[in-house]
Amino acid sequence: MSTSTADHGSWRRSLAPRAAGVVYAFIALVAILTITSAAQGRPSYLSSVNLSNILDQSALIAILAIFMTVVLISGNFDLSVASTAALAGTVALKTIDSYGPVVALLAALVTGALVGLINAVLVQKLGVNAFIVTLGTLTAVRGVVQAILDGQSITATDTTLLDIATARWTLPIAAAIVIGVLLVAGAVLLIRRGSSIMSTAGLWFAGLALILLAVFRPLMLTQTAPVWIMLVLAVLAALVLRFTVVGRNLYAVGGNPEAARLSGIDVDRYKMVAFVLNGTVAAMVGVLYAGRFNSVDPTVLTGGELTVIAAAVLGGTSLFGGSGYVAKSVVGTLILFTLSNGFNVLNIGSNYQNVVQGTVLVAAASLYTATSKRERSRFRLALRRNKGSGGEPPAASTTENKELVRH
Amino acid sequence: MVTSPVLAVRDVEKTYASGTRALRGVSMRVLPGTVHGLIGANGAGKSTLIKILSGWQQATAGTVEWKGDPVDWSHPGQALEAGMAAVHQHTPLVDAMTVVENVFLGRRETKRWDAAARRADLLALCERVGYELDPAELVSELSVGARQMVAILQALARNPDVVLLDEPTAALSPAEREVLFRSVRRLRDTGTTFVYTSHFLDEVMALTDHLTVLRDGLVVVDSPTADVTVESLVTAIVGKRLARMESSAPAARSLGQPVLSVRELSSAGRFGPVDLTIHEGEVVGLAGLLGSGRTELLEAIYRADPACTGEVRVDDRAVRQSPRAAVKAGLALVPEDRARQGFVRDWEIWRNISLPYLSGMSWRRLLPRAAREKALAQQAVDDLGIVCGSTESAVGELSGGNAQKVVFAKWVYGPARVLLLDEPSAGVDVGAKADILQLVRRLADDGRGVLMVSSEFEELLTACDRILVIRRGEIVADLRVADTDLHEVTALASGLKEGQPA
Repeated sequence: MSTSTADHGSWRRSLAPRAAGVVYAFIALVAILTITSAAQGRPSYLSSVNLSNILDQSALIAILAIFMTVVLISGNFDLSVASTAALAGTVALKTIDSYGPVVALLAALVTGALVGLINAVLVQKLGVNAFIVTLGTLTAVRGVVQAILDGQSITATDTTLLDIATARWTLPIAAAIVIGVLLVAGAVLLIRRGSSIMSTAGLWFAGLALILLAVFRPLMLTQTAPVWIMLVLAVLAALVLRFTVVGRNLYAVGGNPEAARLSGIDVDRYKMVAFVLNGTVAAMVGVLYAGRFNSVDPTVLTGGELTVIAAAVLGGTSLFGGSGYVAKSVVGTLILFTLSNGFNVLNIGSNYQNVVQGTVLVAAASLYTATSKRERSRFRLALRRNKGSGGEPPAASTTENKELVRH
Repeated sequence: MVTSPVLAVRDVEKTYASGTRALRGVSMRVLPGTVHGLIGANGAGKSTLIKILSGWQQATAGTVEWKGDPVDWSHPGQALEAGMAAVHQHTPLVDAMTVVENVFLGRRETKRWDAAARRADLLALCERVGYELDPAELVSELSVGARQMVAILQALARNPDVVLLDEPTAALSPAEREVLFRSVRRLRDTGTTFVYTSHFLDEVMALTDHLTVLRDGLVVVDSPTADVTVESLVTAIVGKRLARMESSAPAARSLGQPVLSVRELSSAGRFGPVDLTIHEGEVVGLAGLLGSGRTELLEAIYRADPACTGEVRVDDRAVRQSPRAAVKAGLALVPEDRARQGFVRDWEIWRNISLPYLSGMSWRRLLPRAAREKALAQQAVDDLGIVCGSTESAVGELSGGNAQKVVFAKWVYGPARVLLLDEPSAGVDVGAKADILQLVRRLADDGRGVLMVSSEFEELLTACDRILVIRRGEIVADLRVADTDLHEVTALASGLKEGQPA
């Protein structure tokens, strides 16, 4: 078997802009901000405080981006997450003083799951376009929040949620080193079982980073609870997507639903579970968000869904389904928040912030589309070459059909 | 009396960029006021000729003459201007618009849309054709047959001298066919000329005045329909050399237990109640033409048609109504449109192959073992002769035949008891075709049952033990390969001969 050429190919593929672009972009962005702030004589951009700050600001949106990626992989689309989070936060704060934190949390999660279920049934069972359905739930659920709050913001007296959302948890240095070593060991194991070095880059990177932080920046091992929750969920989701039958089937369902269905996969169930999961997680994010100040107002998280989708798209997740990585979506979120953080640190003023964020998003999407177009035309060429011997003139490429059907 | 032809083709040749010679010197004269049948098997060059006539493609050599003058149309608009309208099998209509808007789509004679006048024009046209339609109805509400009539009306609304009808009846019910035939005859009698292609030879015999039969890019018959017999027509289409297969048909094999039995399976408007049984080790062919309901039947057996009724049993256990249950029960489907239904384009060969039985080769049915999947893929590549860089190649990059082998490989190493194959060798080159047919034989010899659809009946005669002929949604004959030949199968499938229901 010619493993050497295969490895060579996968090396090049993983390093190509399409595969790793978001990581390059993030590194470049941080480098630019570091150099600029150093040149202006400001405090180090890479200080533990500032980095922890960025992480804390992006944690909740990153959690949403992780599960948005799951929905996008399944071939659907969910605009309702921010409204769902707002509703769940409202439900939690409304119930916590009378029924206690456990009931409040459960009520919030059930609310989120229900919104997800409504989306799932309308999209998957009734066949309404996901964009329309979730645009509807986005509006209607926000309406429910406004109706409940009636223009007021509410505050709870029970501070359990506040305590959780603002807690700072510290990972002991020893534990960090052990986990780091385990991650690297896992990567080595995978390579020995035939994976290429680059396909395990995430594991290498995470493991080494953890060890380095433990040794050189122990302060970074103390983070707020949302950051830790985000990291745990990201790792869990990544592991499930990459290493389990469920994950594989999810990619198949998004990549070619008809082929997946005819291969005996319950396409509807996968797509519906993705929606329900997304709603539930959005509810959890809503509770954490409400817990930050122990209060919610009717406009909480308005427009958050667009940031979440932007983060997933920055991470290279396809809006047509079947491809995407949660780790890259998290990096995408970090880029968006690093940008706004950079504007603050450099004191540029927030007027241009949206212009830059929008430009970055469109530039990233253009880059992805341009690179994958080249792949598509190569595919079309191959198709033409073998069609010729069949005696039929080349038909239009199937790729085009797929896109026409999708939107 | 000599009438000059309205449309004539002289020594037209067409060679595609790939080197395929689709037409090798075809001549044809279409006289005004006739229905001219153009027939031939798949790949005989019919579609190419029609594309050249309607201006979609240009001939490599030879001339097309329109009313005596040579023309060189380079796009369909020119043919339309000249007075030749083509109705293709799937004429695109705008679903969200009404009948009258569709019929006069893209007309620029008047700037203003005069609704009353257009409506009157349409009603007059309907009157002339002898077909009634509500001009204000939305096209999306119409039946398939009525849509086809709208497409034909769209062509006729330009008052063409010649109308090309390409397989107009493939999707029509018998009643709708009658309406169409009546209209065609009526218009012919008022001077319109038709060029008519169809797979259904009974239609061709009943409707046309003159026949041109193509085979392998050459004209093999060119004579008035009245002078042609059914026998000579079939021979002309399939060719003498193929009329009888060399006796490669296998000797009677001992068959095992029934592995698949289908009772009273039907789906409204697609196919009638169907009963069939397949035994272990048996390869059964399902011979049918485009639109005969063959694909629909296969999908219903695979429980992928939620609207169908009836029973499907594998190893005498009923299979519930979902492809998931079908896979669990031991059914496997190799679909016709493999790019859309068969594989995930961006996935590597190994991930595609392991998809249907992934949990079976996973640790505790939960964690796939990539090493095992890759070993399986390597075995498939070696066994089936899949030409590829490595098992890491994306299936979308493979040639049609190799991609088809990957779709096969998804099922052959699993526990499937019955394989349902829909056009397994379509778009596959000759070498790969032979490989695939051999593979089918081998799979059956291992004790599986195989039900295989193909529109190339020679292929069925080579690979199968038994052939079921399906026409217009009904199984019209159950033939042992040893007792039949290409003539009979072609005649039954195209409606020239009535069979005994199986």
